[in-house]
Amino acid sequence: MKLLDAETEKTYRVVSIEGGCQSKDRLIKLGILPGVLIILKRKAPLRGPFMVNLNGSDIVIGRGIASKIEVEEIL
Amino acid sequence: MTTIALVGQPNCGKSTLFNQIAGYKSLAANFPGATVTYTKGTTYIDNELVEVIDLPGTYSLSWYDDAEKETVKALFSMDIDVIVNIIDASMLIRSIELTLELMSLERPMVVALNMMDEAKKKGIYIDVEKLEEILGIKVVPIIAKKGKGIKELLQNIKDAKKPRKRCVYSQKVEERIKELSECVDKSIKGEHWPSKLLAIKAIEGFKPCEELVGRTDCSPILKIAKGELEDGMVIINQRHALCMNIFEQSSKVKKPKKRSAESYIDDLLMHPIVGYVFMFLIFIGIFYAVFTGGAPIENLVMGLFDDIDGYLATIIHNRLAFSIVKGTVDGVGAAMGIALPYLLPFLFIISLLEDVGYLPRIAYLMDSTMHRMGVHGTSVIPFVAGYGCSVPAIMAIRILKSKKEKYISAFLASLVPCSARTTVIMGLVGYFLGYMYVIGLYAFNLLIIMISGMILKKMLPGISPEMIIDIPPYRLPTIKTLLLKTWHKVKDFVYLAIPMLIIGSIVLTLISYYQLNGYINNIFKPVLSGFLGLPAALGVVLIFGILKKELTLIMLYQALGLSSISMVSSAMSPTQMLTFTVFVIFYIPCVATIAAINKELGAKGGLFVTLGTTVLALILAFLTKLFAPLFI
Ligand SMILES: Nc1nc2c(ncn2[C@@H]2O[C@H](COP(=O)(O)OP(=O)(O)OP(=O)(O)O)[C@@H](O)[C@H]2O)c(=O)[nH]1
Ligand SMILES: [Mg+2]
Repeated sequence: MKLLDAETEKTYRVVSIEGGCQSKDRLIKLGILPGVLIILKRKAPLRGPFMVNLNGSDIVIGRGIASKIEVEEIL
Repeated sequence: MTTIALVGQPNCGKSTLFNQIAGYKSLAANFPGATVTYTKGTTYIDNELVEVIDLPGTYSLSWYDDAEKETVKALFSMDIDVIVNIIDASMLIRSIELTLELMSLERPMVVALNMMDEAKKKGIYIDVEKLEEILGIKVVPIIAKKGKGIKELLQNIKDAKKPRKRCVYSQKVEERIKELSECVDKSIKGEHWPSKLLAIKAIEGFKPCEELVGRTDCSPILKIAKGELEDGMVIINQRHALCMNIFEQSSKVKKPKKRSAESYIDDLLMHPIVGYVFMFLIFIGIFYAVFTGGAPIENLVMGLFDDIDGYLATIIHNRLAFSIVKGTVDGVGAAMGIALPYLLPFLFIISLLEDVGYLPRIAYLMDSTMHRMGVHGTSVIPFVAGYGCSVPAIMAIRILKSKKEKYISAFLASLVPCSARTTVIMGLVGYFLGYMYVIGLYAFNLLIIMISGMILKKMLPGISPEMIIDIPPYRLPTIKTLLLKTWHKVKDFVYLAIPMLIIGSIVLTLISYYQLNGYINNIFKPVLSGFLGLPAALGVVLIFGILKKELTLIMLYQALGLSSISMVSSAMSPTQMLTFTVFVIFYIPCVATIAAINKELGAKGGLFVTLGTTVLALILAFLTKLFAPLFI
């Protein structure tokens, strides 16, 4: 599934980041790369951005980018 | 002289450290991308003078935005003897990636492990010696904010050595890198990139490096390497694993069981409804506090200077001499009495806002609104900074990615009333017409910014990549840094505006003494009197206002030929005050701002903003003249 369709307060594993995503580079540098676990913390209203937590620190990413990140839920 | 450069990821505390060792020169703030240009300073290590350079934060040497590029450029082109790599100890994994890259530059290097207090609070315990051994570089734990460990750091900078180790990948990867870097070594001369790093970056698809290699005979080798290493993902994964490994070997984490207090604060401040209410209240509160604090002081000081003027009249009898002395005294008095009471508390609160870490949270809240204006939430940061001063606000567009975003943000940021224009809003409109008009003007300003943004979004071509920003923890600044920062921001006013003000006062005095008013006013008459219904005498004030906006309010009453500002209400009607203030809010930015725009966007950008704002100011002031009577 895409991160875009994820639910808040759940933990996900990043499976892949779509190529051609201009922001892929920055995501990787912030530590969001295939294999890592992230928790979706909150979604801003009116199609606003997502806040995810990675190793205890928060990162905000736009929805467009969230739609390019493939994740799987960790149960 | 030995030169040391402070290099590290955004928001790790470089500028804080710099200010501790070289004196307060670089603005530190709690959001990534606070520093966008280098600052030089000096300090002593054992009585030896060394040069220190504070650089913008960068996640790695392959830059993403122009601020990061600035750092890489500086690293490659300046004569740097020692690299001080600052690491946020609470984000070790991510930070080591940059450390590994810096190691490959093979220069004397020291790691400053900053934010030890925060790491501890998060339950992270780092075995410094172990880390030092793994990296092969001296590691010094520090708490830059409190000045802890800095002495030891400086000592180690003096004895800095080149790193003893290299980052090593799997055999398959190393073979590919070696093949490419050997080829690069032969065909590319005089490049700053170490060839191994150049090879890695090219394989990973960092455009500047990829193009550099692509132009040579090595291009086929690059293609094969990219194919075999999944466009560099293999390298990226291995490096990440290595960083994880270093972290696990050197640190122990004890997860605190309780949710942190901060996440509860975030639940409120970033709440989909309550968050906006808080944001609104915070801003209204700020303006209200500045206004209610400033107005009584304005009152008090003005009375004082009326007395001084009366006294001067009794002791100086030469009319010209009296005019000049009075002009100077009034000018300085106005600066101290009218501008500073609003400027100081305002700049103080803006500094506080920057330091606690609220701005990135506003970026999150406002992102979807900002999209309507063709920019992203990140642009909130230059906007809010713009309430303090437009120059850093314009410079902050370096952290934005696309040309379109930069243009729109620069234009809109220059429309945000800076603290100098705030003195006009509060000292003129607020003082004479009341606080509700102040709120009204700010709301009107926001509305115009929104509409301008929506129009610019349609006008300008291109798309902008969405925002990614890491949200820093809430932090409390020390009173000392807060005061130093406020002083740093207000310094310009004292050193630049006050002398200019004295000159301006003298010019005005001479103009009226030699009765030149008529000629000069004729120049401005058609636009000011004819079109906007304002006294033509305000032309000179507006011209001086382009030099420095703080002069506007202060020179206003002198230009009108009044003996004190309290008489402005007899020379200007409420409608005229509103028209004038609306014009001042929107018209041409000051020369320093124009210079900053020229630097960031080129002369075309400067011209675009200058013309655009003039037209906008004329239209809006005209509309104010027409419709203000309905509200008064
Ligand atoms: N708790 C704690 N906070 C610190 C420490 N050092 C710096 N800070 C805070 O961290 C924030 C960022 O500091 P800066 O010095 O602006 O960081 P920077 O590395 O210059 O950031 P950029 O210029 O954006 O790259 C500020 O709010 C500082 O007060 C520290 O040792 N402990
Ligand atoms: Mg900085």
